Amino acid sequence: MSGASASSTSQSPPSMASISDFSALFQTAKKYEELNVIGTGAYGTVYKARDLHNGGQIVAMKKVKVALTEDGIPLSTLREIALLRQLEAYRHPNIVRLLDVCHGGQSVERDHQLVLFLVFEHVEQDLESYLKRAPGPLSENRIRSMSYDILSGVDFLHSHRIVHRDLKPHNLLVTSTGRVKLADFGLAKTYDSEMKLTSVVVTLWYRPPEVLLGVSYNTAVDVWSCGCVLAQLHTRSPLLPGSSDSDQLHCIFRLIGRPPRHEWPDNVAIVADSFPEYPPRDLASVLPRAHPHALNMIKGMLVFDPAKRLTALDCLEHPYFTEEPLT
Amino acid sequence: MPYWYYDKKDLQNTPSFRDGISNETENRYRKEGARFIIDTGSKMDLGYNTVATGVVYFHRFYMFHSFKTFPRYITACCCLFLAGKVEETPKKCKDIIKVAKPLLTDQKFSTFGEDPKEEVMTLERILLQTIKFDLQVEHPYGYLLKYAKCLKGDRAKLQKMVQMAWTFVNDSLCTTLCLQWEPEVIAVALMFLAGKLSKFEVVDWNGRTPKHNAWWDMFVEDITMDLLEDICHQVLDLYSPQTQQSGGDSPPETSTSKPPKNEKKPPSITPPASVSPVAAVATKPVVTPVKNGGETKTEPPKNGGVEIQLSKLPGDAVCAGLQRTTSWGRAAYSCSPRSTA
Repeated sequence: MSGASASSTSQSPPSMASISDFSALFQTAKKYEELNVIGTGAYGTVYKARDLHNGGQIVAMKKVKVALTEDGIPLSTLREIALLRQLEAYRHPNIVRLLDVCHGGQSVERDHQLVLFLVFEHVEQDLESYLKRAPGPLSENRIRSMSYDILSGVDFLHSHRIVHRDLKPHNLLVTSTGRVKLADFGLAKTYDSEMKLTSVVVTLWYRPPEVLLGVSYNTAVDVWSCGCVLAQLHTRSPLLPGSSDSDQLHCIFRLIGRPPRHEWPDNVAIVADSFPEYPPRDLASVLPRAHPHALNMIKGMLVFDPAKRLTALDCLEHPYFTEEPLT
Repeated sequence: MPYWYYDKKDLQNTPSFRDGISNETENRYRKEGARFIIDTGSKMDLGYNTVATGVVYFHRFYMFHSFKTFPRYITACCCLFLAGKVEETPKKCKDIIKVAKPLLTDQKFSTFGEDPKEEVMTLERILLQTIKFDLQVEHPYGYLLKYAKCLKGDRAKLQKMVQMAWTFVNDSLCTTLCLQWEPEVIAVALMFLAGKLSKFEVVDWNGRTPKHNAWWDMFVEDITMDLLEDICHQVLDLYSPQTQQSGGDSPPETSTSKPPKNEKKPPSITPPASVSPVAAVATKPVVTPVKNGGETKTEPPKNGGVEIQLSKLPGDAVCAGLQRTTSWGRAAYSCSPRSTA
C-alpha cells in the first residue's frame, strides 16, 4: 500500500476532495482473487481465495457485512477485530491463523455498510468431511489427541474471554498431520447486531439447552458443543441430531434426562412440564467403544446447568488426558 | 502479521521524504500532529491510553503516506477518533472536531474541507486499511509501573522518579520512538533517564539474581548502554532549542499558502519544550550525540557515556522543570496508586 502515495504535481494545498479520491486507491479486494465459496454460514460467506501479493497462496476469506453507524464503524466490531489481532500474536497451534483484515471500501456511501474481509489460512479439510471420509472407526489415540486439540483451542479462547458459540465439526479444521484447529470464531457481537435478520439455517445439533431456551449464556456453551463433537469422534455420527429447536431439546433430555424443576431457569417461555420426564441414559450404551475416562469427561461436559458443567481447563486436566500420555 | 518497527534508514526514507519533504520538516509535522492529539485528547478528558494509541496510529499512518497527501491535523483527529473507539472511550466525531477547531488557525482548519465530519469518516477507512486493522497497541506506561513496583529504595524518591519517567513517556509520543522500539524498551530507557535526572540510584530490586547487572536485565534482555543512551537523547532532543526553532508553524503547502493569520500556539498542557529549563542544559553540546547510524547495537560500548555526562546536569533544575507536568500525566499517574505500593 505504500506505493499508493500519490505524486502531487502542483504545489497547491491538497483539497479535501482528495481524501475521497484516494480512498478509491485502497481497494483491497484486488489483493485477493476469489475462487469459490467454501461455506455460507449464519454470519457470512467464506471463500477460497488466492493471495495475489503472496505468491498465489491459497487462503480462506470470510466476508462480513458491517452496518455503519452515524459514527462510522461500530465500536464492538473494532474491539473484536482488535482482539482477534491480539490473539494472533500467540500463534496458538489449535487456532486457525488470521493472516489479514481488510475492507472492500467501495459502495460504502451508497448503502451505509462496509464489507470486511477476514483472511485466514486455508486448511483443506474440516472435521465433518474428515469423519465422513474415515474408512472405519478412529483409533483411540487419534480420538484422544483430537479431543485434546479441540479443548486446548477452546480453553485458549476462553482464557481471552472469547466465546466461540458455534463450535461444530464444520468449523474444526483438520490439518494434513491430523491436528485440529478452531476456525470461525470472533465477531460474535458484530454478527449478533448486524446479521440476525438473515434467515440462514444454522445447525442446532451442537447447541446447549441454555441457548435453545434463550437464556443468557457464557463460555460453558462451548463446552457443551465440544462434548457433542467429542462424542461424535467416537461414533462418527452426530450425538443429538434434532430437527427443530424444540426437537433438539427433546433429543437432549432423552440423553441426559429432563432436569429437575429447581434447575430449570426462570423467565423462560417454555416450562419444564412441557417435556416428558425422560430418565437419563447411560452414555456407555450410546458410545459403546469409548474409554470409561472419556465417558466420564463427556458426561461432565453435557450437564444441563452451565454452572455445573466442566470447564475446558477442567477437561484438559481430566484423567482421560493425564493418566496415559498422548501419543 | 504486520511488523511496526523500523530502523533509522527506513525512518529517513519515508513517503513524505520521497515526496519532497525534508526529514526535519517531517519530524516537526509528526511532533505537531502528536502534540495536537495530546491537546485535543486532554481537553476531552480522554485517558493516556487512548491518546497514546491515537498517536501511535498517527506515526504508523505516515510510514505509508505523505504529509502532502494527507494533511496532519485531520489525520490526527481521525486517529484520536478511532483510538477512542478501540480503547472503549468513544467520542463523537463531531465533538472531536468541535474541540479541535479552536486549537487550529483558520488556515489549518481549512484542510478539513467543506464537510469535516464526512472527511474524517472517509479517512477512518483509509486509516484502518493503512494500519492493517492492527488496532491494539501497547504503551510503555504499564511497563513503567510494573518495573517501578520491583525497585527498592526511598519511596518518595521512587515516586518522583516514576512521575518524571511518566512525563518522558508522554513526551516521547512526539518522537518516532514508538516506530523503533517496543514499549518495554522505551519504558526501561526513560526510567533510566529519570533515575539519572532525579538522582535516584537503583541499588536493589525484588527478584534480583547474580546474573543481573542492572534492574532492567530482569525485564529486557541484551539492552545495551548505547541503546539506552540513544533513546534518552531522542527524548531530550525534544527540549533542545534548535529543534524548536526550525520552521515555525507553517503547513506543508508552504510555497502557495498565505502566512498564517493567527500565530498563537494552542494552549499546550504538557510542558512546552521551549520554555522548559531542560532546554538550557540538555542541549547537544552537553551530551554525547548518537547520530542516526541505525547501528547503535553494534557500536562498542562507550563505558556508560550517559552516566558520566548526565550526572553533570543540574538534576534538580531539570526536575523542577519537568515537575510542571501535564494535568493529563498527573491524572494518569494518580489513577495508578499501585505503582508505589
